[in-house]
Amino acid sequence: MKTFKIEHRNNHGFEILDLYGELDAHTASQLEESLKNLISSQKSNIIVNFRELDYIASAGLGVFMAYIEDVRTIGGDIKLSNMNDKVYNVFDLLGFPTLYDIFDDEKQAINKFLSDS
Amino acid sequence: MKINYANQDSHSKFELKTVLETSRMLVESRDSEFIINNLLLILMGRLLVSKAAIFIHDPVNENYCLKKKKGFDKFEEKAHYHFELNSEQGKQSYFILNEIDHVVPSVDADLKNCYLFNLRTSNNHHGYLLLGPKANNEAFSKMDLEFAESLCIISTAALVNSQLFTELTTTYRNLDRRIHELNTLFDLSKEFNLLVDRDKISSIFKFALLGQLFIRTFFLIYKTGDSYSLLASSGAVTKPSQKQIDTIFSDADEDIIIVDDELRNSHEWIKKSNITTLFSVTIQNERVALIGVGERVNKIPFSDADYNFLKSLANLAVISIQKTFFLEERIDKERMEEELSIAKAIQEGLLPDPIPRISGVDLAAKTVSSREVGGDYFDIAEAPDGNTIFAIADVTGKGVPAALLMANLQSMLHVLLPVDITLSEATDRINNIIHKNTPSDKFITFFWAKYLSDHKILRYVNAGHNPPLLLRSDSDNFEELTDGGLLLGAMETMMPYVQTDIQLNPGDLLVCYTDGIDETMNAADEEYGTRRLKDCIFQNRDKGSQEILDAIVNSVKKYSGNKFSDDLTLLVLKACD
Repeated sequence: MKTFKIEHRNNHGFEILDLYGELDAHTASQLEESLKNLISSQKSNIIVNFRELDYIASAGLGVFMAYIEDVRTIGGDIKLSNMNDKVYNVFDLLGFPTLYDIFDDEKQAINKFLSDS
Repeated sequence: MKINYANQDSHSKFELKTVLETSRMLVESRDSEFIINNLLLILMGRLLVSKAAIFIHDPVNENYCLKKKKGFDKFEEKAHYHFELNSEQGKQSYFILNEIDHVVPSVDADLKNCYLFNLRTSNNHHGYLLLGPKANNEAFSKMDLEFAESLCIISTAALVNSQLFTELTTTYRNLDRRIHELNTLFDLSKEFNLLVDRDKISSIFKFALLGQLFIRTFFLIYKTGDSYSLLASSGAVTKPSQKQIDTIFSDADEDIIIVDDELRNSHEWIKKSNITTLFSVTIQNERVALIGVGERVNKIPFSDADYNFLKSLANLAVISIQKTFFLEERIDKERMEEELSIAKAIQEGLLPDPIPRISGVDLAAKTVSSREVGGDYFDIAEAPDGNTIFAIADVTGKGVPAALLMANLQSMLHVLLPVDITLSEATDRINNIIHKNTPSDKFITFFWAKYLSDHKILRYVNAGHNPPLLLRSDSDNFEELTDGGLLLGAMETMMPYVQTDIQLNPGDLLVCYTDGIDETMNAADEEYGTRRLKDCIFQNRDKGSQEILDAIVNSVKKYSGNKFSDDLTLLVLKACD
């Protein structure tokens, strides 16, 4: 099992969070911390890349729900990309696709940000 | 009429090909709309028909729903119709309607020369295809009808297939959701087990509600002892007053309550906080928590499965929270016990140990505490003039408060010891200080005496203490040393405490005790009393002080059945030759 970690990078001026391993009740607080940091520094165009994420639990999904309004209030968005089928299935099961933009690829997420602005 | 066999042959080939292609396409399709639409379009195109309609059997209402139609203006899509067929018609796979047939009695439409096809599989009937006449008013050929019949059979099979597929997909998805919910509960129980921090538990609970159920607004009221407090909240929940917390907890005493207008209007806080559902969490027959949630972010109403999940999640969180409280209580208790054992050691250090030897008297003293610390006190100390001071005291109450006051008295006594004042004056001062420094319901009964060894005189002051018993060697009657004044701490010294001298002769025996001795109860709730005490002293009067003391303690122990409820202290003094 890979240990959960988050790496933060910048792509064309967008904040990218790369998630690794398993996002569950235990690791949810780390993601919360990362999102809080971005929001407090007014960085609101956020893409979360799930390429290296193996598993997600509800508490992890809750973190996205908890901060989406804050991000949208300051004019940004959290877009999600590169999920494997298992992870996407969880998002889909709980009805996330109606509330979030979810893309196959990070590039599409960037294009969506660019076309929306 | 000349039959063009070649033409007919190629025609049937085309027909067969259509049926085959259609069948493959239909069977592969899992979309019933598509299947129905195709059945209509292919038949209408192939048979040159301008109106057609498909009715699907609705087993719930025992009628037929019009799924799709072309033409037939008097019918409406999605409407339900009742069919009336005679028994002969019902058996056929298709038949032509004539003017006297009213297969759909509720609709006044001319269905003459229309065909009704039974949509059925080998086992079941699924509906009807109503096919209008050819646009050119020619009759349907045998081939036309066979073609239509084949297509109906294939389409019906495909429809059943797609229905099964839809049902299966839904079932799978529900199953998937349940599995995910179980995973969530498992994940959380693992995490909760590790946590002892209530804020963290609340925060994970919050994320799980948001992530799994899209609930942003919630509160959690938890019962500790007899009081209720708001442990966690989020979203639209405003800060409630204690009264609001108390009333909603006692009013919402059912498992699940859907908030209605009546509840909203009688509970302002619930209304303001947009709470829509309330859950009680019951552990071992006690309602320990109330959880309120608002509607979901995506506004989808809660299903029974959602409620079940919510209840399980709430139970899990509340049990974990309860665990943290138990843990804290245990830690507090352990710390308290440790502190008490330290206090006990300190208090024991305040008592003389070993009992000093005083020339001219045989002395024994002992205190037995019913708890770790207590309010009984005795002391034996040498005054600057070389004489010895004996003291015994009992602070009202028990435990730590009594022990604190006892320690206070001990230090006063030792501070005053070297000061050159009389026993009476010293008692005046001690009383004033105790009165000033302690609550009005705290008193000390106090007896102390100075033994003037040169003159064999015992000079004493009794401040409200159980009178020590003096048994002269030449008498069989007890004298009681009662002179002195009020107990310490009751009021400021108005009348000086009286000090009294008594002469001690060899063999005279003095027993000082606290009320733990005479007030000890037996199983029948009767006090040990001074009579039994006197009897015990009397029987042992010829023994040494320590033996007399042990005899009294044993007698009291035996009387109580070894269950002391109070502290008891004895100081026994016997004048020597």
